[in-house]
Amino acid sequence: MLRMPEPDQHTLARRKDIIAAMRDIIPSQGGVIVDDDQLRPYECDGLMAYRQLPMIVVLPENTAQVAAILKYCHTNKIRVVPRGAGTGLSGGALPMADAITISMMKFNRVLDIDWDNRAAVVQPGVTNLGITRAVEHKGFYYAPDPSSQIACSIGGNIAENSGGVHCLKYGLTTNNVLGVEMVTIEGEILRVGGKGLDQAGYDLLGIITGSEGLLGIVTEVTVRILRKPETARALLLGFNSSEEGGNCVAAIIAAGIIPGGLEMMDAPAIKATEEFVQAGYPLDVEALLLVELDGPQVEVDYLIDRVGKIAKDCGAVYSRISENEEERLLFWSGRKNAFPAIGRISPDYMCMDGTIPRGRLSEVLTGMQDLSKKHGLGVANVFHAGDGNLHPLIMFDANKAGDLEKAEAFGADILKLCVAVGGVLSGEHGIGVEKRDLMGEMFTTDDMKHQERIKMAFDEDQLLNPGKVFPTLHGCGELKTLHAKAVADKFPDIPRF
Amino acid sequence: MVDVLSPTTPDQLRDAVGWALGSETPLEIIGSGSKRAFGHSVRTNAVLDCSKLSGILFYQPEELVISARAGTPLADIKAALAEKNQQFHFEPGNFPALLDGSSGPDAGTIGGLVACNLAGPRRIKVGAARDHLLGFEAVSGRAEDFKSGGRVMKNVTGFDLSKLMAGSFGTLGVMHTVTLKVMPNDETSATVIVACSDPRAAGKAMTIAMGSENEVSAAAWIAPEDAPHLDVPLAGEYGSGLVALRVEGPKPSVAWRADALCRALAGFGECHEVPESHSHSIWKVVANVAPFVASENTGSVLWRVSVPPASGGDICAQLIEKTGGRAMMDWAGGLIWLQIAASDAAGTPDAMAGTIRDIVANVGGQANLVRASDEIRQATPVFHPEDPALARINARIKENLDPKGILNPGRIAPVSLNGEGA
Repeated sequence: MLRMPEPDQHTLARRKDIIAAMRDIIPSQGGVIVDDDQLRPYECDGLMAYRQLPMIVVLPENTAQVAAILKYCHTNKIRVVPRGAGTGLSGGALPMADAITISMMKFNRVLDIDWDNRAAVVQPGVTNLGITRAVEHKGFYYAPDPSSQIACSIGGNIAENSGGVHCLKYGLTTNNVLGVEMVTIEGEILRVGGKGLDQAGYDLLGIITGSEGLLGIVTEVTVRILRKPETARALLLGFNSSEEGGNCVAAIIAAGIIPGGLEMMDAPAIKATEEFVQAGYPLDVEALLLVELDGPQVEVDYLIDRVGKIAKDCGAVYSRISENEEERLLFWSGRKNAFPAIGRISPDYMCMDGTIPRGRLSEVLTGMQDLSKKHGLGVANVFHAGDGNLHPLIMFDANKAGDLEKAEAFGADILKLCVAVGGVLSGEHGIGVEKRDLMGEMFTTDDMKHQERIKMAFDEDQLLNPGKVFPTLHGCGELKTLHAKAVADKFPDIPRF
Repeated sequence: MVDVLSPTTPDQLRDAVGWALGSETPLEIIGSGSKRAFGHSVRTNAVLDCSKLSGILFYQPEELVISARAGTPLADIKAALAEKNQQFHFEPGNFPALLDGSSGPDAGTIGGLVACNLAGPRRIKVGAARDHLLGFEAVSGRAEDFKSGGRVMKNVTGFDLSKLMAGSFGTLGVMHTVTLKVMPNDETSATVIVACSDPRAAGKAMTIAMGSENEVSAAAWIAPEDAPHLDVPLAGEYGSGLVALRVEGPKPSVAWRADALCRALAGFGECHEVPESHSHSIWKVVANVAPFVASENTGSVLWRVSVPPASGGDICAQLIEKTGGRAMMDWAGGLIWLQIAASDAAGTPDAMAGTIRDIVANVGGQANLVRASDEIRQATPVFHPEDPALARINARIKENLDPKGILNPGRIAPVSLNGEGA
């Protein structure tokens, strides 16, 4: 079971003083939440298997308040858990009994749209879709589109380096963010990056993106916005095996075509979604590809034709092309509702997030079927086929004794399989607490210590989001000690000149 | 005497760094040494030569991924990619030829390319080396192996140290293995050329093009005196400056978008489409910054200025006026190359740096000195000064990964200007 750092009794004993200090910093009504019933909504994020009431929740309204809160926490050695919209799937915003949860949801304004530089400056609590909403009247949009985009915040997207279905062509959050304002645990306000493409010094923007709230609290975000493609059309392609489907994905890319979206679903996922949303998916295929081409009409028509031919050569037994926008959205409705569709046929499900080299797909799917038998739980697969990001949905019943543990063990086995074939633990959901204890599958202790040394450069006392990402927290002293391997003065193996 | 260590395996590399750490011997880290003249010179008695850590480990075109030892010659990698009709999407040019007149084509190693975070014209659309580095393996200044990332496109497992290593000039760790994303070559491309001599007007034209639906993959401006490098005489004559805009993709789409761009920009000057064969050579000229290569510009200094793209035209005009230099814009104005001949340089190098940095500071830009004599580079900060708050974080990162300061000391900030070095 998940172990979090022990609550600090000294902090808990000072709760009253801390509340008073927070009320001084945020005087407005409702800015400091202390009662259990009001703390309850903050007890978990999208990973609902783990819950913990926070010590208190604060909702700052401006950067100065965030800086004052963090400075106070730094001085008084109080732990902090940053929180965006709370949609994260890896437990990155799981509260701690002795920590202040800082909700950024009052930072909800779009500050500036710089059309000439194609950049939007927004506060971190603005939703992912909210950015697109703010710029679409002039034909622009924000490209990364996690499936929670209607609710998830851009600040949370930066914390998790969120992806979505358009990553293969348009990149992840990290490739679309230009700059941030971030407050350190010391209360210092950093401005990193900007509308230009270079920054002086090390690439701090790159390391902040995807750091899961361990390095600071982002208070402003500048992202690249893109012109919306003139049109988009989608193809549904059915195959008799996932191997054929996988080969078709490889053939499309080998032909030099990078589709805007390239998704795959296996038979259990197709069946569940078709029963749920009636997207018109074929029920007699083992693998279904959803390929979306976007761009000028003339390009889309040309590529649809080419992809159709490639699919035929790859043995597609079903092929349908969207003839209008309504039909395209219908094709997507199945894929986008895959998670709730599984939720409908199973009391609970656990969504995994490994990435694998695409060529190993059929091997991994076969391995997953074996694991399904071993653990006695069903699994359905949706898959960002273009970039190898798997979302196996493990079906279980949390009310059945032992089922959650079985699902966790099954999930861990799947991720170990992903790593074994050259993949990774998480493609877009982050490590959080969910995959924390599996980090050792991918990284050596030295690898992780080097990551923690970056953490130390920002937060030496490890007050920001402790217990997340790293399975073992090494003390600062240990991280600083040099373990220089005794290397003889002479090493005859190395050529010298 | 300078001691040169040339490890041939990652284990030997770790031993070499271990020796340097144990004996507190600072190391200058080089691949082929092609970019040694970029940044401040590193004055050490020991050189860690990584060129023997060489070879492609795997290249899987269908997975869009290549992995190689850091010392692998870039030319070898580019040849392997070309054979499969693929490329690095970030389109690095021949940066070493800007530094050294004797540098050949595709000079340098893949590790050096990553360590300097280079990128060419397509950066405006797809990013730089940092955006395409999927993973690395390295030895830190603590003489410990560490790695980050992997070989897959989508990965948020742990901190993204790849971003940190790209552009760190070997000051945090010595990479021995790098894994990068590759992309297929586009089916075809075309370039639209607009006659435009005024950098401010050129900036406006590029801004309009980038904001259009036409998915422009590169936008550059060449001044009238340098336009002959592109070899596209408008109306049969040279004489005008040129805005060049590239579109890439499937044939019917490229034709359609090139037409649309010509229509949108007709008001700026004479406009015409350059066919594919010539389009390639134009963007080689831009990627390589051919007008300003070292071999043809002896004695001049070269600055690389990065600003928000839409302000590029105005900043470029100001830089030309205030320094008397020659300039060229890439990244739709986001990148300005500024060359100042020794005879035109007014005042001391430091005063010149101050003039340039004052102009770009108004728009939050950066100005780095790319080519200058060793003397000038010792006297003037080569890299744009860091914001003090960020500099403190950067210094802590450096200290935590290289506590004894043995990796490329002074490369980013010269030891004489900053007691700590970096």
